[in-house]
Amino acid sequence: MAQLPAESPVAGLRRRRLSFVEVLAQSVSSLAPSAAMVVVPSIVLVASGAATLPAFAIATALVLLVGWCLTQFGRRMAAVGGTYSYTAKGLGPVGALIGGWALLIGYAAVAMAALVGAAIYLAGLFGMTASPFGVAGLGAVLGLAATLFAVRGIQLSARVALGLEVVSIALVVAVLTALLVAPRGAPGSAAPVVDAGVHWGGLAVGVVLGVTAFMGFESAATLGVEARRPLIAVPRAVLWTPVVAGVLFIGAAAAQVVLLRAAPLDVLTSPVPVAELAQRDGLDLLRRLLDLGIAASFFACVTGSTNALGRVLFSMGREGVLPRPLGSTHPRFETPHVALATVLPAVVGVPVVALALGAQARTVLTDALIVSVFGYVVAYALACLAMPLFLRRIGELTALPAVAGVVAFVVGVGGLAAAMAGTAWSGARGLGVVFLLALLPGVVWALWLRWRSPGRLRAVGVYDQATVSSVLPGSVPAVR
Amino acid sequence: MTPAVDRGLTGRQPKAVQSALAILEAVARAGAGVTAKEVAEDVGLPPATTYRLLNLLVGEEYLVRLPDLHGFALGRKVAGLAGPSVAPALSTAAREVVAELRSRVRSGIHLVLYTPTALRCVDVDPDHPLQAPELVERHLHASAAGKLLLAEQPDWQELVHAQRLHRLTDRTVTRAADLDAELRAIRGGGCAVQAGQVHEDLACCAVPVRAPAGALVAALVVTVRSTDPAAAVAHAGLVREFTARLGPLLG
Repeated sequence: MAQLPAESPVAGLRRRRLSFVEVLAQSVSSLAPSAAMVVVPSIVLVASGAATLPAFAIATALVLLVGWCLTQFGRRMAAVGGTYSYTAKGLGPVGALIGGWALLIGYAAVAMAALVGAAIYLAGLFGMTASPFGVAGLGAVLGLAATLFAVRGIQLSARVALGLEVVSIALVVAVLTALLVAPRGAPGSAAPVVDAGVHWGGLAVGVVLGVTAFMGFESAATLGVEARRPLIAVPRAVLWTPVVAGVLFIGAAAAQVVLLRAAPLDVLTSPVPVAELAQRDGLDLLRRLLDLGIAASFFACVTGSTNALGRVLFSMGREGVLPRPLGSTHPRFETPHVALATVLPAVVGVPVVALALGAQARTVLTDALIVSVFGYVVAYALACLAMPLFLRRIGELTALPAVAGVVAFVVGVGGLAAAMAGTAWSGARGLGVVFLLALLPGVVWALWLRWRSPGRLRAVGVYDQATVSSVLPGSVPAVR
Repeated sequence: MTPAVDRGLTGRQPKAVQSALAILEAVARAGAGVTAKEVAEDVGLPPATTYRLLNLLVGEEYLVRLPDLHGFALGRKVAGLAGPSVAPALSTAAREVVAELRSRVRSGIHLVLYTPTALRCVDVDPDHPLQAPELVERHLHASAAGKLLLAEQPDWQELVHAQRLHRLTDRTVTRAADLDAELRAIRGGGCAVQAGQVHEDLACCAVPVRAPAGALVAALVVTVRSTDPAAAVAHAGLVREFTARLGPLLG
């Protein structure tokens, strides 16, 4: 006979308070759509030419496939550790810890990238050149602000992120529309690149690049306790986020195909071609607005990633695989304040040290982004592989999830290999190694625990499970 | 919720509703721990359809997945379907305990019984009657007995809409965040207190009566003519002795 505990193992977080829109905001902000809308299409254009729009469409479909796999968990359990907790239910503790560590790297690296990005664009907004020390100082202030929001409460943090996202998406759409309306000249020197013929290699690279723009879309899966009706809201957010982002990306890519066809080649290969276009058209105000939008999007991304990162650490603390204090919650704000405060020095410290050692701000931004993509893809691929195993364990496996899980895993591993090979060819040779070195402690720790104290692994995969108060009173006895 | 366009029930929707109800019945019949496969066999639906409907019912919290994730049980929402209409019978032994407490306190002592989603004032002090028992039963966010019930909920907004916190007096809590803070204090302190939130000049303190298994089944409420919550709390220590005796009689 089943028995139920009186209290959830993840008690202490503010329960059942976030509306669907706030849950969606968590995922959307971690994805930072407006920054990606401006930056990613031009990179894909260089790789894929005329296949750019199909590449984005395929990327959206692939991310939706992964998202659908994750909803199989999201409909059945309200997790706080996101894909880490999901993976535990299918692959067991060691697989979960490897995936969880990769997820931590993903969230942490994207938070670092977004922090540097917010600082760069904020500096640009005030017409300052982004000196390494200036960016470092601004980044530290922004990181502190994001952590304060996160500790003060998930609802405040979600609302700040939501507000910033709405503003930034509106600004980017407005700027793109204004540029489209402005008169354009004949095809420029970038036209041959933009209209380059479709070939398979270019399409594949475009798809891989396109997929990276979606990373973080699943982070609503860390709000299992805090969302109202989590088993409905979380899967819905995990599916809607790629749909919304996909539409935005395809729209932004279509606009940039038209705009960049009429531009010189050096604009296409500049870091932010849309901003260059605005600048050249003498529309300095538009450029400022764009900077503001991107800075807002990056800052929302810092808060979103910090929230998710803190909750994965919180789960690991509650399970006892990391120090227990990480699993404590603030008595009044009901947030995992220790985990969130632990995140801050790392997220601010790593980029500040890199900048102090003389790295260019923009290099730190892109390198951290690439490392985060590796982390996310490992975490997603393991969670997708875990999905059919989980369904089989609980006796609910049907043909469709079985096929989808395996396909998503294979595509994920293939994409990872392609991305690793891609960075090996390009200038960012060492980043795959950086990622593997960052992943190593997690793998070693998981194997060490498995070998020396398997008892500590028993709790891996805690989630907001049923308690005495969630069932029809008297129908299931309490644990004595 | 977005306002839906009314197209009536179309296509296979009536069948889906019937299937969902059949699944609820099947889980109720089989008891806690029944698996999805067993439910599918019982109701004779294809597995994929059954799993989808089960997940929908779990999402709406009419069903709950047990901690192993493969067994199902009826959710607390099912209790709400029966409604608070059941007239509760009170044993003589319980009435005697309440009467003994009344003989030792000069303030009003009332016994309220809880269902999972509602409360009933079943034994009102004949010497110090409640001015309006229906206010206590209806405005859960204002009365001490109501706050105790809300503090017990995983999500109090299922019982009281956050935008409809009715103002009975100037001191009634009407902001969701304030109510949150009060409920948090109640969970920490073990009894609920309010002063002047239902009637300007009355304070009351509700001490929970718990069944031996821990479920909230009733409360003893002390009402005093005062605007100071401390006047009501002063009796809490004595009342606790009696709630401990009532637990086994009511749970």
